[in-house]
Amino acid sequence: MKVNAMLKIKKLGILFLVCAMVLSVFAGCTAKTSTEAAPTATAAATEAPAVVEGPYYSADMTAEQIVVDAASQGKVGNWGLGNEYEIQALLSKYGQDTTYLSQAFDMDGFDDDSILLASAMTYNELGLVKNSYDGGYGYGDTVSYIDMNDEGVAMLEDNIFCTKTFAEANPNTVKAFIAASMKGWAYACANPEEAAEIVYSYGSSVSSEHQAYMAGEVKKLVETDTAGNTVTVYGKMDTAAMQQTLDLAKTYIKLDDAVAADALAGFELSNIMDSTYWDAAMADGAVLGTPEKTDVTIQLKWLPQAQFMGYYVALAKGYYDEVGLNVTITPGGGDISETTAVYSGQVDFGVTWVSNLIAANAGGMDLIEVAQVFQRSGLVLVYKLND
Amino acid sequence: MKKIKEIVNKNSFATTVYPILFGVLIVVLWQTQILHKILGADTFTLPMPSRIFDIILANTDSIWTNVVATLIVAIGGLIVGSALGFMLGVLATFAPKWGAGGLTVIAAFNAIPIIAIAPIANNLTKDLSDNPEIRSMIAKMIVVTLTCMVPMSINVNRGMTELKPFSLDLMKSYAAENRTVFFKLRLPNSVPYIFTALRVSVPVCVISALVSEYFAEFIIGVGRQIRENIVLAQYATAWAYITVACAIGIILYIILLIAEGITLKGRK
Repeated sequence: MKVNAMLKIKKLGILFLVCAMVLSVFAGCTAKTSTEAAPTATAAATEAPAVVEGPYYSADMTAEQIVVDAASQGKVGNWGLGNEYEIQALLSKYGQDTTYLSQAFDMDGFDDDSILLASAMTYNELGLVKNSYDGGYGYGDTVSYIDMNDEGVAMLEDNIFCTKTFAEANPNTVKAFIAASMKGWAYACANPEEAAEIVYSYGSSVSSEHQAYMAGEVKKLVETDTAGNTVTVYGKMDTAAMQQTLDLAKTYIKLDDAVAADALAGFELSNIMDSTYWDAAMADGAVLGTPEKTDVTIQLKWLPQAQFMGYYVALAKGYYDEVGLNVTITPGGGDISETTAVYSGQVDFGVTWVSNLIAANAGGMDLIEVAQVFQRSGLVLVYKLND
Repeated sequence: MKKIKEIVNKNSFATTVYPILFGVLIVVLWQTQILHKILGADTFTLPMPSRIFDIILANTDSIWTNVVATLIVAIGGLIVGSALGFMLGVLATFAPKWGAGGLTVIAAFNAIPIIAIAPIANNLTKDLSDNPEIRSMIAKMIVVTLTCMVPMSINVNRGMTELKPFSLDLMKSYAAENRTVFFKLRLPNSVPYIFTALRVSVPVCVISALVSEYFAEFIIGVGRQIRENIVLAQYATAWAYITVACAIGIILYIILLIAEGITLKGRK
């Protein structure tokens, strides 16, 4: 009995030792970081006063001063993957190199100061940084941001697109889909709280408070253009803003494939958009006709959230049924490529950023934008303010 | 050269020529679009080999920059991971009681997906350097190290303990010290096992380097280029980088086989 007990104790001891060993491996890593953290913090504090007072930026600094300082420290962040062109245009505008840090899909990098000037969407990340609800960082008014629209480097984002072939074969379906979706957007913008709840009920990646915040911000993007003027018609394709988007895309989308690069250089607006469907769908007393295809699917660019409230509202309120469509909404997320999904015919419509559509067409797809939902850029660069 | 020739001769005709013939067949089917019909793919998502090679040839400079970045991470992580794994294997040999259990725990590391370790490694290395290029290289190397450590530690432990029958008794009958047993018996016995481990960890080091690049702060590397280009629907360019990634893996594996042939020559 005694021997057995001894063995048990030994075994337990061994188990403990192994656990300790494993833990020490991890502890070794964290210990290193904590000892190294102190000198970097003091270094930042001693270097910073040469430019500004305190490690961050003051409210009266110009966008140029902030961009130049953050870029010189190599601390401008963006997610990349086709979301970076406006940031690169801004960096170029102020004579900086166009390299940026790869930002994760959370704001931890901004929180721990490894990114001083972080990319954020007004309706999503900016809300998480400012607000203190579940998932928020609670910075409140201690942060400020640089708006791409104010800087003249805005590129248009969320649109509705399909393939040219699909649109030509199913013109009535496209018109009906636009008309019902825009009705959904109109209702959602008039009742953002209700729209947020509808989206939340369809499955959500974020809290209901954040959905409500998002609905309010998305409303602004849908109803205000890049110059800050109010837009009264939903989904309008503003030629000037589209042209600016295309011009910036031509400059900053870098393609290794010579065939695609040549195609991109020769692009005009007619290669990426066709406003005839929207014009016909939104005209007074428009006759939509019978849809050629009634079961259609729309692929979202991201997870179910108020960014796409117009479609969820149209679905919940039966606007799609009214025009004779049976619509399925497919959420995106991660690396799901909405352009490929539409091109390959898995889905009929998609929501993407105009720049992504341009890159995809340069690669050989035949996509066309049929409505432009967001009238201004929702991308900002957020920074912390000194106390 | 002579040595390499011998090795090539030693590997029978079938093991080298048939795989190559199969590869050629695939490329021919691919270029003639028969492969597209079999898979139901189009030339957009599965571009022609000729187009892919055109892109590789037109972008040798930028591809080389990315290859070097990936190789540093893969080989650096492989060396550090294998060295650590070796030490753990030896340690487990000299403390057999907890060694076996300890190795089982370490083997559990292999069950952690790379996509889970990579962001953690990023966060752990945030304060290591002010230069994001260096700290993200270290983060990627940690991932490769962890994945390469496991096969080495287990195989070295086996090589050190699974000795020829009675060989340990013989050493004891000579009153050999532990040191002598280690250097004259255990270490030589474990050499083939080290190569077995490397056969696993060389392909793994390339894969984990590619995947860890997805999450790295600093944007560089073959894996990152594959991801960027697929998301941007630039499939031809993505395939160019996939081809390069395959080439890295195959070349490293061939180097390993040659090294193994030279080292283990005349063993069996």
